[in-house]
Amino acid sequence: MNYKENKQVLLTLFITMIMMVTTIFTYGQTTINPDTVCANATGEQYFVTNTPTSTYQWTITGGGGTLQTGQGSNSITVDWGGVSGLYPNAVEVIESNAANCPGTPILLDVFVLDLSGNPIGPFCAGDPTTPLVGNPVGGTWSGTGVVANAFQPSSAGVGNYVLTYSMAGCNTTINVVVNNGPVTGPIQHY
Amino acid sequence: MRKLLTILLVFFSITTYSQCVSNQSFTLTPPGPYQPGDVVVVNYTLGNFTGINVNWIHAFQINLGVGWTNLTPIITPGNPFGSTGNWLWDLQNTYPGGFNFGPGWRFVNAGTAGWGTSSNGPFTMRFSVTVAPTCTPDNLNISMEVFDDCVTGGWANGNCCSDPAFQIYNGNVQVVTPITSNINHY
Repeated sequence: MNYKENKQVLLTLFITMIMMVTTIFTYGQTTINPDTVCANATGEQYFVTNTPTSTYQWTITGGGGTLQTGQGSNSITVDWGGVSGLYPNAVEVIESNAANCPGTPILLDVFVLDLSGNPIGPFCAGDPTTPLVGNPVGGTWSGTGVVANAFQPSSAGVGNYVLTYSMAGCNTTINVVVNNGPVTGPIQHY
Repeated sequence: MRKLLTILLVFFSITTYSQCVSNQSFTLTPPGPYQPGDVVVVNYTLGNFTGINVNWIHAFQINLGVGWTNLTPIITPGNPFGSTGNWLWDLQNTYPGGFNFGPGWRFVNAGTAGWGTSSNGPFTMRFSVTVAPTCTPDNLNISMEVFDDCVTGGWANGNCCSDPAFQIYNGNVQVVTPITSNINHY
């Protein structure tokens, strides 16, 4: 590749980058369908690209969702319920232009994610490593004494700990206690 | 003999086609296609009206598709060398013979009601129409029809009944529906 070709490639890359940045700033992020929300999440914001002369009719169906603010505009907030599951077409918006002509309904499926962690312990400081189990599986555990999604009482040491299970931006916690082991005195000889 | 044959041929050709209108023209401002809310000004000219068998012109009817609204007259046709009277803008009129006319201009003869005008034109008129609010591709047809004694019943020997409607515009409302982006979640 000669200098001229290099220059063309660089120019193409630069233009592509500018276009990508412009697109992101113009249209914001793109949500993958289905969208995932945490159980009992509040104030979740949904939006479409705004056309100033248009009005927007939103409908929330299933998932215990209730529309809180923004009906009529291009951006709303929703509070979701606590029942985990996939809710097809949970968010719908129909845009109407200045002539009051409706567009095609735009739909979004929503998966309400309710995380939980199986309780463990209490432990003694010298107890062996115990696997941490979260529901649904596939998340990540974090906290003091957590190594590779398992709890090591020996690493944590004596104390009370809060361990966090995380998945798709949602979190849940469990409390774990590590107690002192019995302190045995020296062997005496009567 | 040849002269007689020629006269007979001319006579039969006239009575066979029986069209009294000729040299029709129009302008549309702006030109189509049209969207809801567009206001369109129509200029229409009938260059010449030749009333066969003393058939006089009576009316210009504007035929509009359902997509139009707010029909408004702007310039009334002239009456060059015609009978005494005036062109009246009318949304609907039933002639004594039962023929329903309208909307458009009809000539009111000041001397003998029901005679129309003896003018041969040219007749130039202007009106405006507005595309009605709609979300469906409604018909926007515009045509002009010229009526005369034969149609209105003002003269039994009239012979201009087959003058066809003159097509000015034949289209549909260009419906603009919004194109919405995907739903995004912050």
